[in-house]
Amino acid sequence: MNVRVIKAVAFKEWKETTRDRLFLLLAFLLPVLWLVVFGYGLNLDVEEIPFAVVDRDHSALSRDYLYRFMQSRYFSFRGYAEDERALDRLLTETKIRAAIVVPQRFEEQLAAGQPVTVQTLLDGTFPLHTDIAKGYVIAINQVFTEERLIDFLRQTRGLTEEQASRLVRPLKVEVRYLYNEEVRSTWSMVPALVMFTLMLASPLLTALGVVREKETGSIYNIYSSTVSRAEFLAGKLLPYIAISIVNICVLWVLAVGLFHVPFKGSFVFFFLASVVFILCTTGIGLLISLLVQTQMAALIITMVVAMIPTILFSGLLVPVSSLTRGAKVQAHLYPAMYYTTIVRGSFLKGVGAGVLWIDLLALVVFATAMGGITYHLFTKRPKT
Amino acid sequence: MTARQRAARWGRRLAALTWKEVLQLSRDLPLLLFLLYSFSLSVLVSGAGITMQLHNAELFVHDADHSRSSRELIHRFQPPYFTLKGEIADARQGLRELDEGRAMMLLDIPPRFHEALMGGEGTAVQVLVDTTNAPQGLSAAGYTVRIAGAFGTDMGLASVGLSGTKATVPVVESAHRVWFNPNQDETWYQSISHVLRMITLFGVLLPASALVREKERGTVEQLLVSPVTPFQIMWSKVLAMSAVILIVTGLAVYGVLRPVFHVPMKGSALLYFLLTALHTFTTAGLGLVAATLARNQAQVGMMALFFVGPMLLLSGITAPFESMPRWVQTIMTLSPLRYYIDITYGVMLKGAGMDVLWKSVGAMVLLGGGLFAFGMWRFRRQFE
Repeated sequence: MNVRVIKAVAFKEWKETTRDRLFLLLAFLLPVLWLVVFGYGLNLDVEEIPFAVVDRDHSALSRDYLYRFMQSRYFSFRGYAEDERALDRLLTETKIRAAIVVPQRFEEQLAAGQPVTVQTLLDGTFPLHTDIAKGYVIAINQVFTEERLIDFLRQTRGLTEEQASRLVRPLKVEVRYLYNEEVRSTWSMVPALVMFTLMLASPLLTALGVVREKETGSIYNIYSSTVSRAEFLAGKLLPYIAISIVNICVLWVLAVGLFHVPFKGSFVFFFLASVVFILCTTGIGLLISLLVQTQMAALIITMVVAMIPTILFSGLLVPVSSLTRGAKVQAHLYPAMYYTTIVRGSFLKGVGAGVLWIDLLALVVFATAMGGITYHLFTKRPKT
Repeated sequence: MTARQRAARWGRRLAALTWKEVLQLSRDLPLLLFLLYSFSLSVLVSGAGITMQLHNAELFVHDADHSRSSRELIHRFQPPYFTLKGEIADARQGLRELDEGRAMMLLDIPPRFHEALMGGEGTAVQVLVDTTNAPQGLSAAGYTVRIAGAFGTDMGLASVGLSGTKATVPVVESAHRVWFNPNQDETWYQSISHVLRMITLFGVLLPASALVREKERGTVEQLLVSPVTPFQIMWSKVLAMSAVILIVTGLAVYGVLRPVFHVPMKGSALLYFLLTALHTFTTAGLGLVAATLARNQAQVGMMALFFVGPMLLLSGITAPFESMPRWVQTIMTLSPLRYYIDITYGVMLKGAGMDVLWKSVGAMVLLGGGLFAFGMWRFRRQFE
C-alpha cells in the first residue's frame, strides 16, 4: 500500500465527483432535505380516523355517547348514515375507515341497568391501523361504561359519587414513558432517519463510481497500471467516505438543532460508530459494483438492496423483536439494525460503549467481511 | 404512401425499438435475476416476516405483593400482545433490562396491592414503557391501561357482589366487525404493500436508467438522426419496461400472493392489471422527467432517490394517510403511488370496480399525461 498512489486515485475520483455539479449538490442536499421532509412530515400516529355513524336510538344519551368520538382527536366525523348498506358503500369507497352503529333502546337499557352492545365496523385493509382504531373504541367505551356504573351505583346502592367512583376505578395506572418522555414521533423517528439517509446515499455513490469505470472502459487504465487492488479500492472509496462523514455531522446538527432531539450519549462514540457504519454501507455498494456489469443494474440493485431491508428490517418502523424468525435472521445479517440501536441509544437513552459495544462489534465484523470479500472479488485480470 | 402504410411503418419502428430494449434488458443477467428475486422470494420473506401490530412486547414484572390479585392482574397480560419474560427482584434491575433493550415494559405492583384493592381505598400500579419506538410504546401503554382498567372495575364490582360481565349492570360492550380482512391477517397487507413498493421502484428506475444510458453513451444522437421520432424513442422504453414489470407483477400475484398468502382477488383481475399498467406508465413518466434532467446514471439515481423515498414512506402504505400533515397530503397528490394504493387494495380486498375507483384512475391519467408531456418537451428541447 503506497499512500501516494492512494492519494492520486482518491484525488482523481474527487475531481470527477466535484466536476459533476448537479451530482455533488444532490449528494449533500439529499440527506438534509430527507431529514426535514420526513422529520416534519412522517406521522406514524394513527389520528383523524374518518368515521360515520348510524344512530338508531336518537336519544340524549346516544348523542352524548357519540359526541365523545366526534370530539376525540383520534376520530374525524364524516356524517350520519341511514343504514348499514350506506356504511358498506362508504367503506368500499374508502370515504370512512370506521363506523359505529348505536342500537335501538340504547338509553332505555342502560338506564334500566342492562348491558348494551355497540357495534363497530372497521376497515381491515391496514391491520395495524385497524387494531389501533379498535383500541381507541374500547377505551372510549370503557370510560363511558365507568360513568354509567358510577351513576348506577349511586342510584341503587345509595353511595356518594366519590365512593362509587372509587369502587369502579379502584386501580390507577401510572405510566412513565422512558427515553422519549413526551412520546414524540419526531424524537423516535429523527435518529432512525439519520440511519436511513446514511444507509441509502453512500452505497449508491460508491457502486456507480466503480461501475462507471467498468462500463466506459476506463478501468483498463487501472488494470494496466501499477496501482494495486487495495490501493485502487481504498482510493476509490475515500472521497465517498469523506462526503458521508460530512453528512453525519450535518445530520447530527440538524437533529439536535432543528428537531431538538436530546443527545444524551457520547459524541465520540457515536461518530466512531457512524464511520464504521459508513464503511459497511460503502462496502455493500462496492460489492454490488463488482458483481454487475452495467450502471443500470448497479443503480437499481443498490437502490432496492439499500432501501427495502432498511425500511422493513432495521427497526425504523417495526421493532426487530416483533419480526418472525426468517425476517429476524435477515435483520441480523444487515448492518442497519445494529446502527439503529446505536443511534437511538446515543440520542435517547444516553447509553454508551458499555452497552452498545456488541452492536459496534457487529458493524466492525460486517465492515471487515465486506472488505475481505470485495478484495478477493476484485481482480485486475478479468475474464472476458 | 397511404396513411395506413405510414401508420404501419410507424408501428413497426416502435415495435423494433421496444424489442431492442427487451433484448438489452434480458442480456443483463444480474439485473434480471434480481428482478425475479424482488417479485418472488423477497415478497415471501417480507409478507410472512413482519407484524406491525403489538406483538410479543417483552414484559418484566416486579411484584411486591405476591397476592391473588397481583397474580390475577399479571395473568391478564397475554400473548400475542405481551410475552412475560419473568419476575425481577428489584425495580432497578428492571431499568437495566430496559436500558439494554431486553425488555419493552416493566410492570411494578406495589406492596399491599390486594389489601388496598379489596378494602376499597384504591391503589396504583406503575408501568415503565420504552418509547424509543413511539407508536409501539404508546400501543403497549394503551393495552396496559385497558387491561388494568377492566381488571379494576371487575374487582371493584366483585367486592360489592356484582359482576361486570353479567346482565345486571349497565355496561357498553364493544362488538367489532372487521371488513375486507376479517381475520386481520397481516400477511395480506405486508405482501401486497411489498409488491406496491417494488412496482414503484422498478417503474421509476428502469425507464429512467434506460434513457440516461443512451444519453451518457451518446447512442441517443444516433437514434435521433435515424428515421424515428423522439416520441418513439421514449415510448419504446416505457412499453418495454412496463411489459416486463407487468409480467413480474403477474408472477408475484399468482406465484406468491394467491397460493402462499391466500390474498383474495375480489374484483376483476383484468381491471387490476390494466390499472397496474397505468401505474407503471405514470411512474415511467416520473422516471423520464428525471432522465431528461440528468446527464449520467449517478445523477438520475440521486434524483430518483430524492422523490422515490418520500413516495414510498408518505403515500400511505407505511403510515396512515389521514393523519399526515396537510402539506404532505397536498404534495402527495403528485405521487402516483397514492392512487395506486387505493386501487390495489380496492380491487383485491374490497372488490371495487371503476364505479368506485374512477376518481383515483382519473387523477392518475391526468398525472401521467402531464408528466409525459413535460418529459417530451424537455427531451425535444435538449437536442434542438
